[in-house]
Amino acid sequence: MTRQTIDSASGWRHLNKVRWLTLVLVFALLIILPFFHVYQTYVAAHAYDLLAPGERKLYDIIETLTAPFVDDPSRDLDVIKGNTWSGRLFGVKMSDPLAVAGQMAAGRNVYNPFLLTALFPVVATLIFGRFFCGWLCPANLLYELNTNLRILLGRFGVRTGRRCLDPKLKYIVLGVGLLICGISGSVLVAAVYPPAILGRELYYAVAQRGMGVGALFFVATVLFDLLVARRGFCRYLCPGGALYSLLGRFRVLRIQRNVVTCNDCTKCNSVCEFGLNPLRDDFGQECNNCTACIAVCPVDALGFRWRITDTPNQGPGHESPRYRRDHKDKRQVFGNANSKA
Amino acid sequence: MTAMAPATSTAVQARTKRNGQRYLRPPGALPESEFVSRCIHCGQCGEVCPNRCINYFGFENGLTSLDTPYITPREKACILCMKCGEVCPSGAIQPVRRTIPAITEGVRMGRAQVDKQLCLSYQGKTCGVCYRACPLPDLALRVGMLEQPEVLDACVGCGLCERSCIQMPQAIRIIPAHTQTGEVL
Repeated sequence: MTRQTIDSASGWRHLNKVRWLTLVLVFALLIILPFFHVYQTYVAAHAYDLLAPGERKLYDIIETLTAPFVDDPSRDLDVIKGNTWSGRLFGVKMSDPLAVAGQMAAGRNVYNPFLLTALFPVVATLIFGRFFCGWLCPANLLYELNTNLRILLGRFGVRTGRRCLDPKLKYIVLGVGLLICGISGSVLVAAVYPPAILGRELYYAVAQRGMGVGALFFVATVLFDLLVARRGFCRYLCPGGALYSLLGRFRVLRIQRNVVTCNDCTKCNSVCEFGLNPLRDDFGQECNNCTACIAVCPVDALGFRWRITDTPNQGPGHESPRYRRDHKDKRQVFGNANSKA
Repeated sequence: MTAMAPATSTAVQARTKRNGQRYLRPPGALPESEFVSRCIHCGQCGEVCPNRCINYFGFENGLTSLDTPYITPREKACILCMKCGEVCPSGAIQPVRRTIPAITEGVRMGRAQVDKQLCLSYQGKTCGVCYRACPLPDLALRVGMLEQPEVLDACVGCGLCERSCIQMPQAIRIIPAHTQTGEVL
């Protein structure tokens, strides 16, 4: 009767659907772009008559799909190229900040044009935090599906790993990774960073000689998530996630709980992929703004706020039975005040 | 000293084994060690290559070369389209304009070498296929009497001559830049 709505946050809950759409789109692009590349090589060769039947089929399919949109397939299809590690979008080169950090460590120098390619991702991370992990990372799509698999397996009584490690472990992985880059003189962090691996291996699978060792590493991370810790790789080991977490520590846009409408149902905590504690306002730098908690909240108590820090320890939600019991008198006053007005 | 000898020889062996595969880096690539430190293993050079001549290393060339691009000229040679340097985000492959002066200046993949024992033209059977395949004819490769090829200083090592050589094994092959300088080996 006295529910106060500070603002109508209900629109935010649909963001999670948008996020899934983005994840699927990015993953689909990683598969489609190598096919476009293969098609472009056929176009460049002007050798349609020499193509094998399977190749000719691919040529025809892609030509039919893209012909309405492009005049010159050998150039127009270049508008989106690359992968989630480094790529081009309408002529703008963008790279993962970890690629730049790794290159700086390996080469012990700064190459300014390359530094600039990380500018947009870094600025976006400063604003939106670790959003790359939740919204764009192609590995995240598979990891989240892996979480669903874990739930499914749980229904059949299969036990999965639920260990908790220290989230700070990934900062050590980041530091050691960069150190190894510096010692070896090669950007080896790219070999243990899932978005880089997936982008590369999918390209190898389509346009090169098939998947390489990176695919095995990725399978190992999926098994790690399944058998050792829920979303363990992203939470405890991912060097790129660590860098994004550090950059997004003082992110401007963050999820916040509206303590007045919260009823302490704990759904947000159980849905959080990263094992954070939205229920007690503990998001921290790990939160990747994935909006899963917002989508699951039955009373729309979670939403985005433009703030540099979390609002810590707001206490139990005012709609929770516990709070009602403890604050009976205050609520009475509160209700009266409202009814008067 | 005698105790050191086997260790040294195995080290040399390991190095030789590591470089047993003759490969070229894409056109415009920096010198080998600098290239390896710059390359971020993103795969865009291969993705843009219209000739699909760029492959990627697994572990066969050592850990530091993992997922770095290479070209095996006998399988598929570089056509010097210079697109890979254009897309390379980290400058491991430097952008080079697609003009003859810019290419002869900026591209240093290797240098062709003719094996006169194998070359048909030197064995009295006029051939000249390598000369016809060369993208820089008379600058990088010249033919004399009986189409006998002679490599000139402007050769950038694209490998089209090696790719086209009709002899088996090939009579002309690219000596990669990184093995010429003695930097790696």
